[in-house]
Amino acid sequence: MANVLRHLPELEGMELGYIQGLMKNMDEDQASLFAQVYRARRKDAQMILILTLLGFFGFAGLHRFTLGQVGLGILYILTLGLCFIGTIVDLVNYKSLAYEYNVKMAHETLSMLSLHFPNGGSNA
Amino acid sequence: MKEIRHWLTRIPLELIFWIASIIAILTINPDAGHHFSLCPLDSLGFDWCPGCGLGRSMNLLARGDFQASWSMHPLAMLAFGVIFHRIWTLIKNLKTTHYYG
Repeated sequence: MANVLRHLPELEGMELGYIQGLMKNMDEDQASLFAQVYRARRKDAQMILILTLLGFFGFAGLHRFTLGQVGLGILYILTLGLCFIGTIVDLVNYKSLAYEYNVKMAHETLSMLSLHFPNGGSNA
Repeated sequence: MKEIRHWLTRIPLELIFWIASIIAILTINPDAGHHFSLCPLDSLGFDWCPGCGLGRSMNLLARGDFQASWSMHPLAMLAFGVIFHRIWTLIKNLKTTHYYG
């Protein structure tokens, strides 16, 4: 019932479709709570892009740290982004990286809400 | 046929990249002198970077030559671990996440 554009107007593309699917069965209260928590957790694809670009100035791998991939972040920093090749691949790939992270966060948010509000979990 | 093509388009670029890099690492000859390198620093004439030797070190580790691997670059094990973990995550995500690239 809840419209994703009303609660999370900043979403676009595949993320928009995915979150709409999750919000389908929520009522307005649940949806606005979900939107608040999810917004606090999600990472903007543009920020990932900018952090990836910093890789060309010697700070490679910041985007991997931001996405919670600490091991890869260390590997990128120590090798200047795998000799810049990794940085270039992630530059092509930044939307997928952000989307993957955001899907994970959406599910974390859902399970958290259903934990704290057993009656509020729509998909449960 | 159509299903196969549909399935192929869902393989993320990053997964292809990591698998290709592992294959490339395994085909290096660590004993060759100056080798062909994709590294832009190398082609600019820099002699050293914190990542230098990591590929050769990973190759030596895959051949079971632990000592030579460690003296070439101590982080080969970490690199292998991290890359295989990432490949595993990406494969696991194939079912749940559609990728852009």
